[in-house]
Amino acid sequence: MGNYYADSDKFGDEAASPLVEAFHSAVKNLVRERFAASGKDWAAFVFDDAQDLITAQDFAAIDRRMLDLGHRYAWSAQVSVAERPDAYQPAQGLNEDLSNFSFEHAEAVVAAADAQGWAQCGIGDNVVPFDEMLTGTARYVRSSAMVLDYLTRGVPPGTIAIIDDSGGTLTAPILEQFAGVLCAGGTVRSHLGILTREYGIPCFMNAKLSGIREGDTVRMETTARAKTAEAYQQGREMSARVWRLAT
Amino acid sequence: MTAAMTPDRINYPQLLETNALIQQLTDESYWLCVTRTVQESKLFPVSPYMLLSYFMAFYRYPELVRKVDRHLPAEQIGDRMRNMGIKCANPAMGWGLPSFYLLGREYMINLGLLRPEDALDDLIDVMDFWKRFQLGWHRNDGHLANSNYGHRSQILPERRLQVFHADMYECRQGDALHDAAQAFMAAASQYGFLISCESRISLCNSGPYRLSDTREMIVRDYMDLSESDFPWLDDVARDIPYNNLTVSMAVEGCHIYLMDDWGSFESEPEFKSHHVVGVGLYTSDSLSEGYLPVAMGSRDELTHAFTELTDKVKRATARLWKRIAAWTRDQMMDAGAITYFAIAKDIAHVAGCYEVEDWMMVDERAERFRPLLNDEYSNAFLGELVGSMTNPSQRLSEYSMMMHADTPTRMYSHIPYSVLDGGDFTRTVGPLRPGRSHLDPKQDRYTTSQGVLTLEEYNRRARAFTPAVCRPRFRHLCETWLKYHHQSPLAHELYCLEQQHSRKLAGRGAGVTRAEIEGMRDRL
Repeated sequence: MGNYYADSDKFGDEAASPLVEAFHSAVKNLVRERFAASGKDWAAFVFDDAQDLITAQDFAAIDRRMLDLGHRYAWSAQVSVAERPDAYQPAQGLNEDLSNFSFEHAEAVVAAADAQGWAQCGIGDNVVPFDEMLTGTARYVRSSAMVLDYLTRGVPPGTIAIIDDSGGTLTAPILEQFAGVLCAGGTVRSHLGILTREYGIPCFMNAKLSGIREGDTVRMETTARAKTAEAYQQGREMSARVWRLAT
Repeated sequence: MTAAMTPDRINYPQLLETNALIQQLTDESYWLCVTRTVQESKLFPVSPYMLLSYFMAFYRYPELVRKVDRHLPAEQIGDRMRNMGIKCANPAMGWGLPSFYLLGREYMINLGLLRPEDALDDLIDVMDFWKRFQLGWHRNDGHLANSNYGHRSQILPERRLQVFHADMYECRQGDALHDAAQAFMAAASQYGFLISCESRISLCNSGPYRLSDTREMIVRDYMDLSESDFPWLDDVARDIPYNNLTVSMAVEGCHIYLMDDWGSFESEPEFKSHHVVGVGLYTSDSLSEGYLPVAMGSRDELTHAFTELTDKVKRATARLWKRIAAWTRDQMMDAGAITYFAIAKDIAHVAGCYEVEDWMMVDERAERFRPLLNDEYSNAFLGELVGSMTNPSQRLSEYSMMMHADTPTRMYSHIPYSVLDGGDFTRTVGPLRPGRSHLDPKQDRYTTSQGVLTLEEYNRRARAFTPAVCRPRFRHLCETWLKYHHQSPLAHELYCLEQQHSRKLAGRGAGVTRAEIEGMRDRL
């Protein structure tokens, strides 16, 4: 082919992500080959017969080559790893016994227990300030199976749900029953943050936690200021603290 | 022939305008994506379905907006939207329609499948449709989008605001109405996220409007709640009696200082439920004469309605969640992608030309990309596309400093002006191609303000219907005209149309002031 626009970009070169670059380079190579072989003009190649000249099978082959190289994709939706366990990294902490599971964030701020036995075990972005701090029982809620179980049996009173999904759908049918939420992702503007604000449920988003086990008694500094949009934009720390009762 | 169909539109003034619209969307999209949310889900493959929807938008929006425009011009749909709380507001039209198209275009450019000078008629038509809709819809505040107004929307005319203001019931945290309204809004928000596969596009806030020195009003729309367009709501949402609900909400003690083009807001101090001191409830759609009051006859009736709706919404949430939790990844991908792609589908309902095949299917040209869309790649690419803007097409000269980012980047590529000098370019992706879906077929049941209709009947009624305030007699009677003609019989007639269902203002006409309305309101 002649001067392929993707080969003559003065300011752009590669995507930042190696995986993105690998996929896009593979597609561009396919375009170079197929366009040259097609004998068609550019408009016909990219529009008229587009779905016949570069097909789903071609894209599936790109995916297959990546897996054949030994790469396994990081998953974000459980259904992805459930349907293609060979293509994704293994899921952990979803279905097995939670008694030995805990979130361990590298940037969790921790401190030794004080005289009353409260040990700081993390921080988070407070969604809405409340007049009093919240104390409750930590329970991980990480899969639709767990949600279905709580939906069937009911959420125990005083549950502070520890969630790594900042969305508003995974926990939709049981969210209202939580006393508090510690979410390991998102921001106070994420859907889970919006919903907990609507329900009046204390919630920390972007929680960086360490050492909280299923059933631990935890305390949230819900009296802290809510993190603002400006703080996010400026990268300014504005965190509330989380403690657990040392045993 | 509409403006969008004028031939030979590839000229210098047109390209200047189109590139300016692209740049506006570049600047605002970056700000929205970086400051407003991090969208993720363990239930839905969100990034994969978003990317699929961008392909769908790229291939289908041009033909679909032309089709809608032939039935009803974009600016007239914008006029209609000032009287409804349906999915033609934010984030649908204010941001989604043009941005999803541009995101699809940029994605294609970075895959090596499209040049910035390709599909120019398509690009111009989508941007032009968007511009005309927005200008019509925002006629009263005179802006193209909330972002141009310092993130504020003042869409509604005085006559509608007066009805919302006058008929609103006073409430305080802890009283029955406040509790019922708050419970409804929380449950409906959650249901909205689930309906929309983890996106916020079933919810929209607009305003604020100043009710007094200490009070502001937010208008909040909950959209697509019942059996209507989405196949996944068939049966599970049958008990929801209204497809769209609008809550008028007075807030005191906080100032809404930001209302963005996604329909979300910021306030100082942080908005909490105790700030809500008045509420009203309405429904509307493309077949209604504006906003119709729901259970607004008395405080007790409204309280009961909120409670009853909350129960129905919660039951629908549980049923829908169980349905979704059993879906395959392809079904989740389709539902999410269709939700995004069809964000602007209600323009077709207003125009009376809605078809399931147009809006509820994955175009075969988009479908072929599905094998690429694993979670990791999709998350990484989406992050580059709307966050770091590190894709090759998004990099500019090192001298450049992008708005909000200060980086040498541009989210959406401009059209090169060299096409005017005989440079090679292409015009269009062509007509719609067949689509498919892994979801159950849509049942032919559409909940409207005129009852549950078949789609054929829904379209027929929509084509035959023009709201009274949008008919030629009133259509151009704007707020500037009203300012100087409020004593005229025509103004009286116009206001009485809006007031016909009002508990407090029926028949009062155009001369009433805000202070007089405040004086006639029910007190606690």
